Parts: sequence; structure tokens; C-alpha cells
Amino acid sequence: MPEPNLQQELQKAPREPLLPVEKKLIGWSLGIGLALLVILLLVNHFVPASL
Amino acid sequence: MSVTTETARWPTTAEPRPWITEDWLSVWIGLGIFALALTWLWGFDLLGWVVSTSVWIDPGQALGTFSKTYAQLGGPGALVVTYLALSAVLTAAAKALGLDARRFAAAFTVVFALAYASWMIGSYAYVAVVTPADQQKFGIGWSLKLTNEGGYVVALLVGLVIANFFPRLAEWLKEAIRPELYIKIAIVILGAFLAVTAAGRLTLATSLLWRGIAAIVEAYLIYWAVVYFIARKWFGFNREWAAPLASGISICGVSAAIAVGGAIRARPIVPVMVSSLVVIFAVVEVLILPFLAQSFLWQEPMVAGAWMGLAVKTDGAAVAGGGITESLILAKSAAQGIRYQPGWILGVTATVKVFIDIFIGIWAFVLGYIWTRYINPTHDRARVAEIWHRFPKFIIGFVLTFVVGLGVALGTPTEIGSRLPAAIGEANTFRVIFFVLTFFSIGVLSDFRRLWQEGVGKLAAVYLLSLFGFVIWVGLIISWLFFAGVTPPLAS
Repeated sequence: MPEPNLQQELQKAPREPLLPVEKKLIGWSLGIGLALLVILLLVNHFVPASL
Repeated sequence: MSVTTETARWPTTAEPRPWITEDWLSVWIGLGIFALALTWLWGFDLLGWVVSTSVWIDPGQALGTFSKTYAQLGGPGALVVTYLALSAVLTAAAKALGLDARRFAAAFTVVFALAYASWMIGSYAYVAVVTPADQQKFGIGWSLKLTNEGGYVVALLVGLVIANFFPRLAEWLKEAIRPELYIKIAIVILGAFLAVTAAGRLTLATSLLWRGIAAIVEAYLIYWAVVYFIARKWFGFNREWAAPLASGISICGVSAAIAVGGAIRARPIVPVMVSSLVVIFAVVEVLILPFLAQSFLWQEPMVAGAWMGLAVKTDGAAVAGGGITESLILAKSAAQGIRYQPGWILGVTATVKVFIDIFIGIWAFVLGYIWTRYINPTHDRARVAEIWHRFPKFIIGFVLTFVVGLGVALGTPTEIGSRLPAAIGEANTFRVIFFVLTFFSIGVLSDFRRLWQEGVGKLAAVYLLSLFGFVIWVGLIISWLFFAGVTPPLAS
């Protein structure tokens, strides 16, 4: 099977503006991620690793 | 993270589906080795013939059997028996996968020979020796100080030379170039090794496990969102390309790219092309990051281990990179008079990677759900069952060997439990061999000429910018925040 031409594949790909649902996905991911990191850091601070 | 055979070739449509997947095969083979090793607890030595390599200056002293029970085999005998046993098991596995068993056996013979020869070169005293005392012991005035795990780097380099300068040989070997199978078997065995390590310091092991959760948050919620945004907004990729690309760069390389590509109903070319890049960049990372970690993070060994798990994409490269990092840092610490217990740095890398892997199926489902309902509404909607379908099954094997190992270590009479480290040491020798096979295979898959293929530049640019401009450094910061100040227990 011949390898597809990547350049043609990429050129064929239509330009698509960011949809509201994608913006929501990015925003919520980052928001939840940063919030969880802060919570985990607090847990890490108050329950330090010990031998 | 992982490397898969899809990277070696473009998919064809008419291939029959095998009755078992590489994922499940890795579980059964890993569990088989673990079970046979455990018989040591009751006085049976069924795997002691496995070949092990010591640091050497005289080639005649390089090889030996793991156990003295089989010492009469001698080093070369142990090597042949190990080859025959692995060849038989893996050829049967290849047959189960629907591959041409004869071609596999022939190719595996060459793969094993070259990979193990690389491992032996890595154990050459001029390459491996670290301390002045050992230099004196071997009567040498200098060494590269790569430790004997420098053999992984040698295997990788040999694989790279084959991929880039001997493409016909690489093509001939491809039947046995199965990095995903090899690394998953190794990770299943690793579970038992980590259990033995953790049993001695259960409190520390538990707190490290908790810190692994940060890796999941980082990979899925932060990395993915940022890389997806960069690919879509700055580089103009459409959704079909951007989602697998973001998954490959931010989560776990090939597995994630393929899982997400399938979930959003992308054409097969998309994850396959992304996978090729993942492997190439993982090679670059694994050749650089462990040495950076040794130079700058040797006083923070756990940070270095977590960093490998977060920054290096593909399971094989990450976990084996963790092994190299551990080796390099232990060597540097030892030179400063600090002797840490082995296993902890690698343990952190593996924990971080496994934690990330667990959620690939769920993340693919979440994206599939959004794509098939809101972005490209279709009748072929994402189903909850796909979470299990895309779940990396080798994790079941890893958890099983970890739990059983921990149970034996903590819950059996001392006379039996005290034999566990030796039993697992036997299985661990196979783990090292599978690591070497993985490194060699990743090298053979890394055809850098792909980077010059028309059109790859844009994909590579996103990868380069995201990986070296964001993923590596954020991974370092998060690793530092959660693991700084935590050090492995000192060796007794």
C-alpha cells in the first residue's frame, strides 16, 4: 500500500474556526486542571511525604 | 505513551483481526514469568538459567546465569538458553497475533543478538564504571561513567543506525520490532519489583502514589488543552488532526493518539502519522533528558523520576528513560558518598506513567462523546463500552503483580517472605532484557528521514514547540512542586 502524501492530506484539510464547544472544552479543562493542582498542592503541603 | 507496531507500517484494510491483542499477550507473558519466579519461595528454581551481565573488562567474565543452581551452563550457555526460551514464547505470541511465525523467529534472532550485544557493550568497564574504586578494580584510568544501564542507550543507537542507514534491514526486522509488546511485558514484571521496593517503606510508597494523581491532572487537563489550542489556533490544524496530535504530545504518545483518533472517528492516517513523530521525539528526549537530570537534579532524585514520566512520551521510552535516570543519579550520588536504595526513582517514573495510562480510555470517551454529539453529529456515537475497549490491559497485569508481590512481602511468614527479593530479582532480569529489546526496537522505528517528508514540518513544528517550549518545563515545575525534598531511602 503506497504511503499517503502528508502534504496533500494537510492541504486537503479545511480550515475550521474554533467552535464554542471547543473553546468550552479548552477553558473547562484548564480551569478544572489548575483548580485540582492547587488542591493537590495544598494536600501536598499539609500531608508531606515521609519515610 | 506507548509505541505500537502501527508506527512501523501503514495500515491495510484487509488484515484479519487476531484472536488476542498485544496488550493481553503482554499480561499473560508477564504473569507467566512472575508466577515461575515465585516458585522460588517454595524452593524451586525454574528461571535461574536466565542470562545476566556483569560489568566486564574480560569478555569471558561478562555473562553468567542469574542463579548458581544453573552455573554449569556458563555465560554463553545461559545466553543461548535465554534466547531459545524467549524465542519460543514470543514466536508463539507472534503466531497468536496472526504474524508469520517463521519470519518472526528469524527476525527475532537478529533483534535479540543485536540488542543483547548492545547491552553487553554497555556493561564494558570503559563504558559503565562510575567510581574511582571500580576503575581501580578493573585497572582502567577512565570511563564514560554511563553505568551498566548505558546499554539501553547503546541499543537505542544501534537501532537508530539500522533505521536510518540500513532501511532494508529495518524492513526485514519489522516482524520482531514490537516495542509495545516488549515494554508492556516489562511493566507487568516491574509491578512485582516495585512491590518489593515499596514493602520496605510503605508510608513513603503510599505518599508517592498520591502524588501520582498530579500527573493525571497535568497530562489530561493542562497539557492537552494548551497543545490543542496551539495546534488549532496558531498552526491552523483542523480538528481531525489537532485532537490526536494534542493527545500524542500531551498524554501518552502513540496509544493516546490512536485511542483519541478512533474515538473522534479520524481517518487511520492521522494517528499513524502522529505516532511516527511521537517515537522520533521520544528518542530525542531519552537521549537528552536523563543526562540533564543527572547534571541538575541529582540532589532531587524523585523530581527527576517524575519528570521522566511526565515529559517523555511513549511508555517504553519513559519507563526505560526512568531506568537510565535512576542509574545515572545513583551513580553520581554514590560518588558523593550518598547511597540510595535502587528502584525508587524508576518506581516514580512508572507510577506516573501508569497513572496517566489508566485514563486514556476515559479521556478518549469524553472527546468521542463531544465530537460525535456536538462537533460532527453522527449515528456512530461514542459508547461507554469504548472506555473498556481502549483501556490499556497491561495495567491489570502491573497491578496484579504489584498486589501479589506486596501481599507476599507483608503477609507471609518471614522464612518465605525473605526469599521474595531473590525470586523477583530473577523475574527482574527478564524485565531488563525486555527493556533492552524495547530500546532497540524504538531505535529501529525511528526513521528520521520522515522529518524531511513533505508536510511533516508543520506537524513537527507543533510537536517541537509544545514539547520543548511547554510540556518539558511544566512537567519539571509540577514534578518539583510535588516531589522536591522527597528522597529515596538510603541503602543499608
